[in-house]
Amino acid sequence: MSEPSPAFPRERSGARWQTEVEVTHGIGLHARPSVAFTRLAKSFPCAIEVAVDGSPDWLNGKSIVKIMGARIRRGTRLRIRAEGFRAEEAIVALGELVRRNFDEDRKNARADGRPDGRPA
Amino acid sequence: MPVPMVVRMAGPRELTGKAASPGRACGPAFRALAPAAPPAAAGEDARAALAGAVGVAIGELRALAAGADAQSAGVLDFQIEMLLDDDLMEPALARIARGEGAALAWAGAMDAHIAALVADDGHGTEDTFADVVEGRGAGEDAFADGVGERGTGEDAFADGVGERGTGEDAFADVVGERGAGEDAFAARAADLADLRQRVLDALAGRPRADFPAAAIYVGDDMPPSLFLAHDWSKGGGIALCAGSTVSHVAMLARARGVPMVIGLGPLAVAAGQPLLVDGTAGRVGLDPVDPVAPPLPAIVPAAVAGPGGAFRLSVNLNSLSDLAAVDPATVDGVGLVRTEFLFLSPAEALSEERHVDCYRTILARFPGRPVRLRLLDLGGDKALPGLVEGGPASLLGERGIRFLLAHPDLARIQARAILRAAAEGPAAHGSVSVLLPMVTLPQEVVAMAALFDEEAARLARLGIAARRPPLGIMVEVPAAALTLDLFDAAAFFSVGTNDLMQYLSAAARDNPIAAPLNAGSETALFRLMAQIATTAEALGKPLSVCGDLAGDPEALARLVGLGFRDFSVAPSRLAAIGPLRRAMPAGEG
Repeated sequence: MSEPSPAFPRERSGARWQTEVEVTHGIGLHARPSVAFTRLAKSFPCAIEVAVDGSPDWLNGKSIVKIMGARIRRGTRLRIRAEGFRAEEAIVALGELVRRNFDEDRKNARADGRPDGRPA
Repeated sequence: MPVPMVVRMAGPRELTGKAASPGRACGPAFRALAPAAPPAAAGEDARAALAGAVGVAIGELRALAAGADAQSAGVLDFQIEMLLDDDLMEPALARIARGEGAALAWAGAMDAHIAALVADDGHGTEDTFADVVEGRGAGEDAFADGVGERGTGEDAFADGVGERGTGEDAFADVVGERGAGEDAFAARAADLADLRQRVLDALAGRPRADFPAAAIYVGDDMPPSLFLAHDWSKGGGIALCAGSTVSHVAMLARARGVPMVIGLGPLAVAAGQPLLVDGTAGRVGLDPVDPVAPPLPAIVPAAVAGPGGAFRLSVNLNSLSDLAAVDPATVDGVGLVRTEFLFLSPAEALSEERHVDCYRTILARFPGRPVRLRLLDLGGDKALPGLVEGGPASLLGERGIRFLLAHPDLARIQARAILRAAAEGPAAHGSVSVLLPMVTLPQEVVAMAALFDEEAARLARLGIAARRPPLGIMVEVPAAALTLDLFDAAAFFSVGTNDLMQYLSAAARDNPIAAPLNAGSETALFRLMAQIATTAEALGKPLSVCGDLAGDPEALARLVGLGFRDFSVAPSRLAAIGPLRRAMPAGEG
C-alpha cells in the first residue's frame, strides 16, 4: 500500500481517524461499488465504520449487508472513521476510492477497489 | 384486499413482455424447477451444516469466477462477498439457536434479507418493513435493528429513484441501456434468491442442475449463477414471467448476446414446447414453426362433472401420482390435498416454485372443479428433517397451523404459491380454497388470514397475478368442533374424522393398546358430528367430511342421516362410495 495522500482531508481524535466524502457515483453504492468498498476495508486490520448524511448510527464498513442496506446513493455525504493499526491509511484509501467513483469508469477494473485493474 | 386477476387464455400464440436483451432465439422450452434434494442435517449439527453449505457455495462461486470475464466476475464477486459477511449469516444462526433446522433457518433469514431489499423500491404504498420484522419475530438480530433504523429514510430513497435519470447506473453504462424507474437495489434481490437456493442445494449435497444447451429457459426469474454456468454457445434464450431489465442476469444476457424477454406474466408453456424469443421486440412466440397444438394434459369438459345424487363426492390426494388413479369425470372435485406429502425434502418444501408447480399440475387436472389445498400439516408423524423433527410429543404440541404460525416464513412461501396458482389456472374462478390444519381457536384463523392478505398485497405490489382463496378449517380438535359458531373468519368446515376421533378419545389409533378405546368412542364421535352438522347449517357455511369415516359405506349412510352432504375420500374408495350417490334418496336428512 502506498503512502497516504498528503492532500486528502482527514481529522484525528486520539487513535481514531475520520474523513468525509461525497458520493458522486451515478447510482451510489450498489452491488459493485459495495464490493469494492468492503473488500478494500477488509484489507485493513483496523475497525472501520461509516455513517450516512449526518446519521448518528455507525455501520460496519466491512459488511456488504450493512453497506447495501444503507442504500448510499449519489449526493450522500459519507463519513468514514477508523480506529486501530493503519487507521489513517485506511480512511484515506477508502475516501479516495469513493472519489475515484469506485473505479467504475474503468469497465474492466477489478472489483476489489485496488487501482491495479486486471486485464480483461 | 383487491388483487389483480389474470385468467390464462387457452393456447395463446404470442406473448408480449418487455425486451431485456436483443436478438432472436428459437428452441425447446426448459421450465425452471427447484431440484429435489435429500434431507438436510438437523438439530445440534445445524450450525455446522449451514457453515459447511455456505463454504461449498463460496467454493462453487469462486470456481465460476475464476473462469469468468471481468464483468461476470463482478456479479459473482458480489455474491461471494455477501456469503462471506457475518451480518448475512447472523439472522440464520440466531434462528438455529432458537431451534430451527438449518434449511428453514437459512431460507427464512434470506427471505427477510430479500424482503428488505425489495421493500422500499418506490412502488409500495404500505409499510413492508413491518412484514419483514414481523416475519422474523422479536427483532433479535442485528439486521432487524438495521431495518428499523432505515425506516424513516424510505421515502427519501423512493424520491431518489424517481429523480435518477437513465444511463447513470454503472451496470447500465456497460450495456448502454436501462429501464427508467427500476431500482438497482431491488434488482439485487435476484442475487440473494440465487444465494438462498445455492446454499439450500449445498445443504442437500447436490450441485445446481444445468439445463440442455440451445433450450429456452422459462421461469419467473433466472439465477445469475445458472446463467454463468450454462453453455450459451449452442444458442438458446430466456423468457421470464417476472424479471428486471437491470437484473444481473439481464446485464449478462445483453453482454453475451443471449436474447431475453421479461415481464411475460404467468406462462402456459409446456416443457419442450418450441418457443421463439424475440428479445428485440419483447415478444415470445409459442410453436413458431410447427402449428401443432401444445401437449397439454387431457382436459375433461366441465359438463361431465359428477353424476350427482344424494351427496357430493370428492377425492383426497396425497401425491401427484394419485392423479393418475382418479378419473376426474367421476368426482365433483378435490376435497383435500395433503400438501405435506407433496414435498420430500426441506429444499422442496421451502421452494415457492416447487409448490406452484405441484398446485398447477393438480388444478390442470380438475378444470372448473373445486380444489381444496390443505396447508402443510407437519408435526407428529409427519416430519421433514431439517425443517420439522416431529415425533409423538408434537401430536399435542407444535403441529399443523401451530407450527406454521410459529414459523411464518414457511407459511408465507406456501401462501404465495397458492395465491399465484389460484390466479392462473384455466377456469380457476373460485375453484381453489385453503384448508387450515389443526385449528384450535378462532385467532389462529385470523392470523393466517392476515398472512394471506399480506402476501397477496406483496404480490400485487410486485405486479404478480394473485387470487386470495377462501380459508376454511379442518374440524379435528374437539375445542374447535364444539365452538364452530365462534369461527367468523372460517369460510367453511371440513371434518377430519381420524384426528377428531383420536383427540376425542385421547387414544392413538396406531397404538395397539389404545386402539380399541379409539374405535369404541364412535358414539361420542357421532354425537359430536350431529352437533357440527346442526351448527354449520345454522351458520349457513359449507360443511364436508374428508376423514376415513366417509370411505366406509355404513358410516357414510349415518352421516347422510345427520345432514352431511359433502364427502371426500381416498382414490381407492371412490369405486365403493360413488354408486351410493344414486342408491341413496337425495334430500333426506
